[in-house]
Order: sequence, then structure tokens, then C-alpha cells
Amino acid sequence: MRPRTPPSDGATAEPAPTTCAAAPVIDIAHLSKRYRDVTAVDDVTLHVRAGQIYALLGLNGAGKTTLIRMLLGMIAPTAGSVRVLGADVSAGERTAWAQVGYLVEAAAAYPELTVRENLEVVRRLRRLPGTADDIIERLALAPYAERRARTLSLGNLQRLALARALLHAPGLLILDEPVNGLDPAGVAEIRALLADLAHQHGTTVFLSSHLLAEVARLATRIGILHHGRLIGEHDADQLDQHRHRHLRLTTRDDATAQAVLRAHGYHPISAAPDGLLLTDKRALSRPDQVAAVLVHGGVPPTELRLEEEDLETYFLRTIGQNTPAEQPGQVAEEGTQDA
Amino acid sequence: MREALWAELLKVRRSRLPWITALAFTLAALVCGMCMFILADPARARALGLLGDKAQLSGASADWPSYLALLAQAGAVGGGGVYGLIAIWLFGREFSDHTATDLLALPTSRTAIVAAKFAVVAVWSLLLAVLLAGLGLLIGALLGLPSWSVPTAVVGVGRILAAAALAALTTTPLALAASMGRGYLAAVGALFGLVFCAQVIAALGYGAYFPWSVPGLFAGIAGENQDPPDLIGLLLVAATGSAGGITTVFWWNRADHTR
Repeated sequence: MRPRTPPSDGATAEPAPTTCAAAPVIDIAHLSKRYRDVTAVDDVTLHVRAGQIYALLGLNGAGKTTLIRMLLGMIAPTAGSVRVLGADVSAGERTAWAQVGYLVEAAAAYPELTVRENLEVVRRLRRLPGTADDIIERLALAPYAERRARTLSLGNLQRLALARALLHAPGLLILDEPVNGLDPAGVAEIRALLADLAHQHGTTVFLSSHLLAEVARLATRIGILHHGRLIGEHDADQLDQHRHRHLRLTTRDDATAQAVLRAHGYHPISAAPDGLLLTDKRALSRPDQVAAVLVHGGVPPTELRLEEEDLETYFLRTIGQNTPAEQPGQVAEEGTQDA
Repeated sequence: MREALWAELLKVRRSRLPWITALAFTLAALVCGMCMFILADPARARALGLLGDKAQLSGASADWPSYLALLAQAGAVGGGGVYGLIAIWLFGREFSDHTATDLLALPTSRTAIVAAKFAVVAVWSLLLAVLLAGLGLLIGALLGLPSWSVPTAVVGVGRILAAAALAALTTTPLALAASMGRGYLAAVGALFGLVFCAQVIAALGYGAYFPWSVPGLFAGIAGENQDPPDLIGLLLVAATGSAGGITTVFWWNRADHTR
């Protein structure tokens, strides 16, 4: 597959700066969708630059699919605007679609058609020359090419759906839960494929997922959607800065250890049922100095461990603390909104 | 449009439905021939019992004009239901198979995709009507029915095809129902409802102004003494077909596709 759009920024996985001169590949401004009393998407503004892998993270029902369908002109927004590859998205506007590959929700195919025929249908509708052989090879579908889609496993059906999305070597890929139904090897394969497309071919990828750990390994930028609102955006390599970390230590005399540490400018707090926690940057960056202070103070540590909040805990903490109805304004204070 | 038509034809070719509908129309031609066979010999018809009695009750005679009229009625009424099912399948399957989403953001417009589906309904229906007429002529010849003439055959076959065209036109609202209902169920319900209404309204004497009764009346189902639907009735069928088609295109282009 050849890239149809050149990488605009070297096509690397480098973190996106918060400002850029080039027009974004996806430009969403104050986008909302309401169904009577239900607000599925609420005033979302986000931008995706060329070559980025942008992951929209959220629980089931957060509004991810609704937002993706609005991106693809399948649902009309109640308010706001969407531009994809510079074109306003609407039902009658099709200029962008030749450059966009997509997969929305569950993978599906015409059950009575073979894998090859399913791809041929898309190839014709996309008015592409040639055959689908390349993408069949690339997605490891060759053994199943002449099999009817109804006989495919869920994983291979997902591969077929991805093959349809990638058939025309799109400049922009929009994928809703792209690794659903895939086994671990398939997940790793698709992750490598998407990373290769973004890094080597300059393809911009916009995907949604509820799997934070998976997203964190792939995305260059992450948006967190909760109850239809975009409550935070991070460059993926800065995700660590937002996760809670602390130094956990235990001694044979925690009270004395606490006094010694205070005397050296640290701010230890008691940790139930025993031990102390340190969150000072100095302690986190140099735990060996903490150990040295305690040894010289006569209370050597019996245990010293740097603990980091895992991604799932971070995610749940983020959506729990930043629910707009509960704690308005908390987003900026927590530093999760850095764009 | 050409690409969309190619895709639709591939889906049809790989389906069993063309064979099933062809079988239904073959059976219709055979049943009509059976009626003529029974009517040709009343004594044998009575010996056959109930079927023979019913054949006599229709008041038809065993000759070419009656036989071709019976075929036209079968094509208009029974065939109309089959044409409806074809339209429902072509549109409803995209939602039942969850493939509709893959048709919505392509260089090929949604209008072209819907138009291709309607074109397939039209061609498929026409082929079935041709099959019915062709088999009818063959069976009629084998039965040796009297009153054959080329003008009789031309008029009879013309009526079969025209009645089929009218019936096919009335399927566009079913395509809309399959789209809006996002599957087969609502549209099949609508089809049953319309067939029922067509019978009742025709029986009440207003069938000439109910689009789903018009094809059957045009084919002569009310008997030789009844006038066929006038121009208003035919225009109502055309208007229904156009409105259904245009609304379906509009729905595909403007509705929120949430599934």
C-alpha cells in the first residue's frame, strides 16, 4: 500500500505540540448531539493533526460511536461543526471519503459473499483500479479469500472489516474499537499495522477504544470522553506525568522515620496499616537519597518501593473526578486538559 | 451508479432468493395451467373434488384469453407480494447484516446506491414477469387451449408485463419501510397490511384509487364486467412509486444512521 497523503510532519510518532500551523486532518468544533432528553455528545472540540494516532477513550455509552458517526456524516450534529481533510462533513459532501477508511462498531460483511468478493464490492464502490490481492495478503486473509464471510471467525471478520477500511490506502483511518474480537496475537498485529501506517506512511489514525492499556501502547494522543464530554486530552508520552506516583517505605520505627524525614525537608504521610508514603518530587526522583537519610538517622528502611497508579485506576479516577456535574472546573486543576 | 449496480448484482447473484422467486413464479404458471386443465373438462374437474369446484366458481373458461388474464392476475397479486419481498430484502438486508454503515461514506453517493437497488428491483420483477409469460405460453401450448391468435397473445402478454410493472412500482414504500425499520420485520408487516387493505378496499369498490389494488384490477381480477382502473388510478400508482423512491433516497441521505 502506498500513502496517498504525504506525512506533514515527518510522519513520526512524536508527541503533538499544542499548537500547529498546518490545518488539522480532523477539526471538530463545539460538536453536540442530543436525542430529546439524552445528550450523547456534548460540546466536544478537538483537532487531530496529520500523522497522529489519536485515541478516543471512554466507557461504553460515553458517546464515542456517536462522535465517530458524526465524523463520517452518518449522524447530523445538533450543534457544532466537523471538518475532515478540510471538507465540511455533511450527508451530501463526499470529497473527503475517497481519502478516508473507516470501521464503525461491529465488523460486518455480506455473509453469502466470499472474503474476496466482499472486498471487490468495496473496491468497486470506491472506484479503485486493480484487485484486492495486496490487502488480502497484508491482513493475512489469503487462506480465507475464497471462503464465504458467514464462515469466518469473529477475529477474521474483524480483519476483513479492517481490510475494507485499508483497501484504498487512506490518508485518514477512522476506527471504532478496531481490536474487538481479536485474540492477543491479532491485537498485537493490528497495533503494529496501525503504527506502521502512521509512522511509515503518514496515515492519520483516529480510533476509539475502552481499552486504556491498549490505547496507551499505540496512540500519540489520547482524548477521554465521558458522558459525551471530552474531559481531558493528553499526549501519550505525557500520560505518566498525570498518573499518581508515590514512594512507599516501611521501617521498624515509623514515627522516628517520619521525624527524620521531616527534618530533611520531606513531607511523609502515614500509610495504613503501617509505613509511610512520600510524594515529594525529590523523593520520587531520588529514592536512594531517602534511603540514605533514613540509614543515617538510625531507622533504615525495611522496604522501599516506588508505586505508580496503573492506567485503569488513572482512567477511572479521571472520569470519576472530572464528571462535569460533580466537580465543574476540576479538569484544569487536575492538569488533564493540557491542549 | 454503475459501480453500485455491479455491487448489487453480485449480491443478488450470490443469493438464493432469485431461484426462490423464480420457483414461486414457475409454480404460479403451473397452477394457472392446472386451472385451465381442470376447466377444460368439467367432468374431470368435479371428479377432482374441491379444486374442481373452485375452478368452476371463478367463472373462467379454458381458452387463451382467460388463461393469459389469469396469469396477469397471478403476476399482479401474488407476484406483487414477491416483488415487495425482493425490495424488502434488497434494502432490509443492509441493516440485518449490519452492512449499511459501510455504504454511507464512500465516493459512490448514497443516492446511486439506492437507485441501483431500485433498478435491481425493476429488472428482477420484469424478468420474473417474463418468466411467467414465457412459461404461460409454453404450458398453454402444451394444453392445446383454444382461441389462440397472435393479437390475443400480444395483448395478454402485454397485460402480464404491465400489471407486473404496476405491482413493482408499489414496492418503493416497502423499501422505505425496510430502511426506516432497519431490517425486514417492519417492512414485512407493512407488506401484509397493504395486501390486506388492497383486498378490503377493492371489495368495497374503491380499489381503482388504492395503489396496491390497482395492479390486480388492471389484470382483471374483478372480472370481465368490471372496468379496469382509469388514468387516475394508474397515476396514483406512479405517484406512489415515485414518492416512495424519492423518500427512500431522502431518508438514506438525511436520516441519522445510528445503526
